[in-house]
Amino acid sequence: MAPQPEKVFNPRQLRRTIIEMAYAGNTVHIGCAFSIVEILAVLYRQHLHFPGNEPKSPERDFLVLSKGHGVMAQYACMRELGWIGEKEVRGYFSDGSNLKGLSDSRVPGLEVTSGSLGHGFSVGVGMAMGAKLKGSDQKTYIVVGDGELNEGPIWEGALFASHQGLGNLMVIVDENGFQAMGRTREIMNLSSIQKKFEAFGFDAVTIDGHDEHALDEAINTLWAGDPKKPKAIVAKTVKGKGVAFMEDDNIWHYTRLNPQTYERAMFALRESDE
Amino acid sequence: MRDAFSKTLVRLAKADRNVLLITGDHGYALFDEFRRECPQQYINAGIAEQNMVGVAAGLARQGFRPFVYGLSAFVPVRVVEQIKLDVAHDNLPVVFIGDGAGFVYSHLGTSHQSTEDIACTRSIPNLSILSPSDRFEVEACMEAAYEAGAPIYFRMGKSDRGDVHSAGLPHPVRAIYELRPQANDGIAFFATGSFTKSALALAESHFSDAGVWSVPSIKPLDADAIVSICKKSTAAVVFEEHSIMGGLGAAISEVTSQHCPLPILRIGIEDRFSHYCGTYDYLLKEHGLDQEAIRGKISTFLEKAKPC
Repeated sequence: MAPQPEKVFNPRQLRRTIIEMAYAGNTVHIGCAFSIVEILAVLYRQHLHFPGNEPKSPERDFLVLSKGHGVMAQYACMRELGWIGEKEVRGYFSDGSNLKGLSDSRVPGLEVTSGSLGHGFSVGVGMAMGAKLKGSDQKTYIVVGDGELNEGPIWEGALFASHQGLGNLMVIVDENGFQAMGRTREIMNLSSIQKKFEAFGFDAVTIDGHDEHALDEAINTLWAGDPKKPKAIVAKTVKGKGVAFMEDDNIWHYTRLNPQTYERAMFALRESDE
Repeated sequence: MRDAFSKTLVRLAKADRNVLLITGDHGYALFDEFRRECPQQYINAGIAEQNMVGVAAGLARQGFRPFVYGLSAFVPVRVVEQIKLDVAHDNLPVVFIGDGAGFVYSHLGTSHQSTEDIACTRSIPNLSILSPSDRFEVEACMEAAYEAGAPIYFRMGKSDRGDVHSAGLPHPVRAIYELRPQANDGIAFFATGSFTKSALALAESHFSDAGVWSVPSIKPLDADAIVSICKKSTAAVVFEEHSIMGGLGAAISEVTSQHCPLPILRIGIEDRFSHYCGTYDYLLKEHGLDQEAIRGKISTFLEKAKPC
């Protein structure tokens, strides 16, 4: 059942929101927001439950954005949900505004304060453990970056989640192949992320992270698996996905839009609607 | 003192099944009773402190009341960022128990000694710091930590130096207790944790005009009480088994420098690590913190001190 049937979560529209916000705020981190758009779209559209459309509902599922740098993608989804308004989109980064450049748990709809990497993972594991202890059927999804997997607490948390049998936990790794200073394989080669999570006791699959059907199917298949094993999806993605001149180029982790690149990006995203 | 800690924790956990004890694979024997009485509320998170604190934050978000236990060298020092970001930022009700603070592990070297922990945590917003001096303060502080429903660092140091109070403390715990009355125009001894006993003994033996106060709440500090005492004092001495930087002595100096400047001697660990190992008493001596050395420091200080 689609929990949000009236919401489309069209990836192109979500990317347009990201571009609007990045341009309004004269800010960066576009590439790493673009790479998780389909992941978040599928989660919000088909899997996350928010009773009464309340971001703080005690019975909600948890979406923990551990890679806090991609937060604009989550804002874009929250805009569709009506949790943030046009004023917040257009006033992004204006003095005194609430939406920051990294995930901040004080914003309803964001679960953790992240950006310092490797934090959200453990907090999400704790939320999943809390749901298990309470006997609740809440599910916890943690979105981590591949570069973030350099952080030790990720693997502490993976050991713990497996040992505690947290079958209500799903980790989605945004494997866009980049970290701050370059390609992950050149800086800290991760080799097979799927095999690593499997070695830690997870059920894991690797899929195309921009294929919404594949994402949905992987999520359903994993939930139908061993109820005592935590799950991991390694989503192969492209940093900057959706706008050709931004794709697979780490410069869009750092570059701000100017009027020309803004227009080009919006044009590309409009074009692809047709 | 550790017995009081264990028994109070068991009592709190039996009264509220949302209380969870999470340990970083420490507390051998200490938690036997807890594990026997509340096995469902005991989680050994393994030797993985960073994850342990994040998990505690997640559990607190789900309505649980985690008590996170570790040696003070690890909890809080190793996990300062997790405490700041995962717990304190959202004012979550997590109590961090840092055991063995100071020179308790005197033979093990710097790895297990902890004389920076207060300084590392005192500037984190929302986080309170409790540092009991005896078993009665332990019990009262544990209850206060539970009732606060907010982040607490609970510092436990050398635990076998005896009581400083004669009986259990009335509820609720206070931030500061007078243990020994001060003579007119006398000096003030403020002390916390294991060194409260030293302050009392020195007042009795050598500094008869000194009033002695135990300060179990380092943050929040009862600034009004401190200022009021200091206004009646010619000088103050602060005792703690912690660096002279960033601890209770620093906190009191910050308050008095603004409201009531007076000469203050901070008795604690100078800005250095231990070089050698030995018994606890040996290590105190090595750092110039045995009773005789402290007495000498105070005498020298008082000769030079001018009242405010």
